[in-house]
Amino acid sequence: MNRREVLLSGVALSLAGTHAFAQAGKEILIGCIWPLTGPTAQIGADARHALETAVDIVNNSHDLDLPTAKNAGLAGLGGAKIKLVFADHQGDPQKGRAEAERLITQDKVVAICGAFHSSVSATVSASCERYGVPYIAADSSSPSLHRRGLKFFFRPAAHDEMFSLAMFEFMDALKKKGKKIDTVGLFFEDTIFGTDSSNVQRKLAADRGYKVAVDIKYRASSPSLTAEVQQIKSANPDVLLPSSYTTDTILLMKTMDELGYKPNNILAQAAGFSDKATFDAVGDKLNGMISRASFSLDLAAKRPSVGKVNEMFKARANRDLNDNTSRQLTCILVLADAIDRAKSTDGEKIRAALAATDTPGEKTIMPWKRIKFTPEGQNDDADPVLLQYLGGKFVTVYPAQAAIAEPKWPMNG
Amino acid sequence: MTTQAFLQVIASGLLLGLIYALIAVGLSLIFGLMDVVNFAHGEFLMLAMYATFGLVLATTLDPVVLMPLVVALMFVLGVSVYAGIIRYAMRAKANPGMVQIFATFGLALLIQGLAQYFFTPDYRNIANTWLGGKTLNLGGVFLPWPQIFGGAVSLAVFAGLYWLITRTDFGKALEATREDQGAVALVGIDRNRVFALGWGLGAALVGIAGAVLAIFYYIHPQVGGTFALIAYVTVALGGFGSIFGALVAGVIVGLVEALTTLILPASLKSVGVYSLYLLVLFVRPSGLFGRL
Repeated sequence: MNRREVLLSGVALSLAGTHAFAQAGKEILIGCIWPLTGPTAQIGADARHALETAVDIVNNSHDLDLPTAKNAGLAGLGGAKIKLVFADHQGDPQKGRAEAERLITQDKVVAICGAFHSSVSATVSASCERYGVPYIAADSSSPSLHRRGLKFFFRPAAHDEMFSLAMFEFMDALKKKGKKIDTVGLFFEDTIFGTDSSNVQRKLAADRGYKVAVDIKYRASSPSLTAEVQQIKSANPDVLLPSSYTTDTILLMKTMDELGYKPNNILAQAAGFSDKATFDAVGDKLNGMISRASFSLDLAAKRPSVGKVNEMFKARANRDLNDNTSRQLTCILVLADAIDRAKSTDGEKIRAALAATDTPGEKTIMPWKRIKFTPEGQNDDADPVLLQYLGGKFVTVYPAQAAIAEPKWPMNG
Repeated sequence: MTTQAFLQVIASGLLLGLIYALIAVGLSLIFGLMDVVNFAHGEFLMLAMYATFGLVLATTLDPVVLMPLVVALMFVLGVSVYAGIIRYAMRAKANPGMVQIFATFGLALLIQGLAQYFFTPDYRNIANTWLGGKTLNLGGVFLPWPQIFGGAVSLAVFAGLYWLITRTDFGKALEATREDQGAVALVGIDRNRVFALGWGLGAALVGIAGAVLAIFYYIHPQVGGTFALIAYVTVALGGFGSIFGALVAGVIVGLVEALTTLILPASLKSVGVYSLYLLVLFVRPSGLFGRL
């Protein structure tokens, strides 16, 4: 090394030093768009606890085997802390779009996470794409979302095709064991979540030889579901496959009970069927219900961080992590890890770091093989699990490697 | 579809329709009395449901027993809203109609925001009531007791209102004020007092609906919106200001909605109601029993 190089490297080092110093004092802003008011506000309230738990993990030093947990702040940016900026979309895609643009242009967030409703994720991610800001879909599960050729869209969790596929494979396995499953009933709400979910299920049913005995698209937040339930009751499918948000789930279960109808089996697309509010309201009517999930507390036996993170979350939210909150929490950890590796707050560089993500499943709190995104931004290794609600708690019943019990089938037998 | 299933849908639609009518009648009353559309009507309903929920928690009594207390609280709320807001809104010199709309709409947003803040967005549910979870089985047609109770209360309320308006002095003052707000002052009726009592009565009526609904429906800060739109359509269909119209229109809305679901996909269940509403608007703009 000659004098010139020594001098240059010295300059470079000092510059890097000031840069790191500047970053350490700076907060990295991340936009979080969830329904904080409106009929699904409870999802947003829970999401806030989950996201803040993740921020705690990133910003403080924790003895957890998760990326960015050991250091206080992001090591790649000289210990910079992340800060969340919340916005409320009220379940409305247009409000979501407006809030996303405000977060990007006024608050200067480096990335956006959201949004529960797939319909909102669709508009928000389109805005993010235009501004070159990465969007992480934490808990929106419509398959169409990652098929739009967006460069800045990432989804660490499974989508409804993967979830539905797991459901049908589960039914196939039960059939092989001699259980009677010939007919299925589709019951889904009329926004993108329910419609997409049912499209996949209709196709899977046709491919695998299940007869669709009843196929009901209903209006979300209806004052009454009596006529709808009457149709399900008349058809009496072997398995009911509902895709519903919380209010409708509560009403559906109450109406079934009122009309004296006990479904043979319910295999649900989570959402309302994994919300604590549902179990508080109609838990007694849900015994034996099976829901797909991205998360299982049983996993704590194999991955110690699951139990510890759950305790941290519980201290804030006064409830256990569930399907939604685990994905929300993970979304911030995935993003923080990418920013850390990008060593930059530039949208393009964070995008590149996200695209290069390769986190083994053991370094997450999820039952996934790994986190590795396809060119479309989907993590195909996010294995779904099926949980059965028995005696007031969820038990993992599928797939075999994660199951801790045999399913009770039929649920009302 | 079997006859039994068809009868089930009709019966459920009828019971729900009676409850729609009960929700709508307070709105119709206030409109008929003073030409003010209360955009906070759904929020009044929500408050009544929370009041029922809160009183059940506090006293551990059955919601049916607590109904009179809820209704009294709602009456006080109605009178206070009139005295604190509407009275001033009606005095606006420029564009009083818009001022009234903004006043009640703003009130709706305020109530919703406060409910979300104080009650949290959690879904509430009153468990273990006398009627809750019990169903009457009429040869395969299932009628839940809370809804039967709601329908019966609705009919009783309409009978009571009929009596109140036709047989009491207050009812006559109410009718007279409706006919001619200016002239009643000449015969010594305190218009302001009639309006205040009218608001109290309107809120008390939606309070009854809320107390009934709380027995079988989930409660959360936005629940008013689910029913408010139907209440507006019911009032417009029956004729603004017509009490009897609200009853008939409520039942029609309930039945049409249920029957539409049998013919069209369930996501289009409102199409029948709105089509009927548009038809009535074209043929008879004042609504079925309106006097406009």
